[in-house]
Amino acid sequence: MDYRKCAQDIFAQLGGRENLVSVAHCAARLRLVTVDNSKIDKAALEEVDGVKGVFESNGQVQIIIGTGTVNKVYDEFLDITGMTAATKDEVKNAAAARMPLWKQILKTPGDVFVPILPAIVASGLMMGLVEAIPKFIPAFGETDWLSFLDLVANTAFAMLPILVAVSSARVFGGNIFLGTVIGMMMVHPALVNAWTVGNYAPGEIPVWHLFFFNVQQVGYQGHVIPVILAVLLMSTVEKWLHKHVPEMIDLFVTPLCTVVITAFVTFTIIGPIFSAFESIVLKGAEALVSVGFGIGAAVMGAIYPITVVMGLHHMCNVIEAGMISSSGVNFWMPIASAANFAQFGACLAVALKVKNEKTKSVAVPSSLSASLGITEPAIFGINFRFMKPFVCGMIGGACGSLFAAGPWAHGTNAAGEVVKFGAPVYGVTGIPAIPAVNNLPFYLIELCIAAGVAFVLTWIIWKEEEPAKKAAPVAEKVEVPTNPVIKCEAGTVLAPVAGKVIPYDQIPDPTFASGALGTGVGVWPEAGVVVAPCDGEISSVAETQHAIGITGAGDMELLIHIGVDTVAMDGDGFQALVKEGDQVKAGQPLVKFDRDKIAKANHPDVVVVLLTNADDYSDVKYGANI
Amino acid sequence: MKEFNYTVQDPLGIHARPAGLLSKLAKTFDGTVVTVEKDGKVAKASQLMKLMGLGIKQGATVTVKAEGENEDAAIAAIEAFFKENL
Repeated sequence: MDYRKCAQDIFAQLGGRENLVSVAHCAARLRLVTVDNSKIDKAALEEVDGVKGVFESNGQVQIIIGTGTVNKVYDEFLDITGMTAATKDEVKNAAAARMPLWKQILKTPGDVFVPILPAIVASGLMMGLVEAIPKFIPAFGETDWLSFLDLVANTAFAMLPILVAVSSARVFGGNIFLGTVIGMMMVHPALVNAWTVGNYAPGEIPVWHLFFFNVQQVGYQGHVIPVILAVLLMSTVEKWLHKHVPEMIDLFVTPLCTVVITAFVTFTIIGPIFSAFESIVLKGAEALVSVGFGIGAAVMGAIYPITVVMGLHHMCNVIEAGMISSSGVNFWMPIASAANFAQFGACLAVALKVKNEKTKSVAVPSSLSASLGITEPAIFGINFRFMKPFVCGMIGGACGSLFAAGPWAHGTNAAGEVVKFGAPVYGVTGIPAIPAVNNLPFYLIELCIAAGVAFVLTWIIWKEEEPAKKAAPVAEKVEVPTNPVIKCEAGTVLAPVAGKVIPYDQIPDPTFASGALGTGVGVWPEAGVVVAPCDGEISSVAETQHAIGITGAGDMELLIHIGVDTVAMDGDGFQALVKEGDQVKAGQPLVKFDRDKIAKANHPDVVVVLLTNADDYSDVKYGANI
Repeated sequence: MKEFNYTVQDPLGIHARPAGLLSKLAKTFDGTVVTVEKDGKVAKASQLMKLMGLGIKQGATVTVKAEGENEDAAIAAIEAFFKENL
């Protein structure tokens, strides 16, 4: 692949240098922020060699190029445009600045929870394994390994508020270490653990009396929203103090005041209010999933891919993290899994059905990545682009979710309590989530339903569209005539179009019929494309595109004239596919013409082919049977 | 060498048919080369394809030149042809 050419071709479609704000790249995509996204010719971009797809997301234009090549195209792109390298964060921020406030707010949870995914994945998968292994190998449950691994696995969840606080501090621009302090404070070992608070009698829980607040000394294990808000407050206070405290005393005054103020407000106001609020949200989510024997879940499963398209699916992470840390099971995960795996099914159907090489080369790897839970390439590169597969995927996701959330899906634990079907993990779906789920056979069936329904529907409903742009010379099947109509010692001239051949003296036009223009034939066309009657060079193309001259072997000067008096149509209905000086091969399409338009303009559409310098040859034969 | 200038009156310009007639006429003068020039582009009048390729439209002014043994007869005949047909 020619990286420089690819970069140049991309740049050509972006509406000029002044339309570009910043550019960065990630593993496979070029990410652009422009002044006006509407100035970009997306259709033309998708045609650029090397570009696998184009879409807009969160105010950015993202061009999928591919792993290992995008960085090279990117370097050339910088060179061509004279732009400087921007980091992904800079591009994101430039895009974020152009997002409406509500969208920025919705985006925040994702920014907080995505960076801590590795910790969640490690812990979640290990928790799943620790729970599953004793079922198959009972002896394992009696070793110390179980309790050791259990401790390792649940650390991230037991201390989740600390992770959330660190990440939030980064997002809100506060000092990371102060943010960490806030998080640690909320799960301080001196506080009653929120998970064991139920074992205390109401009077036993110690209480602080601070001004007119009575603060129960309970930690925030199992909560995320109060933590995010506490750190948001902290970051705001810290920034304000940095600005207003004299620099001399800033170093000790600002951190001290920041922590004390934040701690006080967190334990007295933010904590109690928003932990109650969070409990309501979780109950609401639970109700939504179980409402109508899983209908609610089906709806969620259907709309989940839309939240992916809008980049809002990380919103759910707040709720999911809350579920895991409060009940140990993320019962939304099966819904996200069904939704994602259905997109895999839809994309796979496209991958197997499509004939266009370029689409196939995108669809195959995209569907594989979707089966591993990374659906963006499949959704943006294939499903959402063609729309029908996307909708089929939504239906598949709904079916899978319905199955996963019905009352039949719940099991019970050793203590006889209901345990919802799910996994102690978020952000992992599809095949990689297999070790984490608490009911493996059930999970596999769910995935099969989701992907199966999506696959079958897509296979039936989706049909590959003919590429409209290339339709002109390629898609339309041109019947290439092989019957000779003129012969002389210099060579043979074939019919320029299929149809009935008449000698020139029968052409319904006195000039042609007189032979003044040369010797040859007329053909009453049966198709709308004139092809080259011999190898040669295009010597002229009439401005009105209805007549073409070709110089063939032995200096044969041929005139091909489409219709009689069609010069009066001034080019309307004619489209020349070659230009003066082109070398053509016999059978190559030269001019497309619209027979209906010629008929409407009241002209005969006979295609005249004449050897204009017939006088130069001694033995010229012409006609239908020569 | 003889020459004249002419502004094309025909609404369709020098299209295939008159071009064909002109090239036919131009070939009848032995030992004489007739050229048509428009905007610096020159074509031999006897070469139909080149003539058509000039894309001469109504209102365009062309310069016609004849050079050779029969240039007087040629220029007279061709000027008459232009006036009559174009």
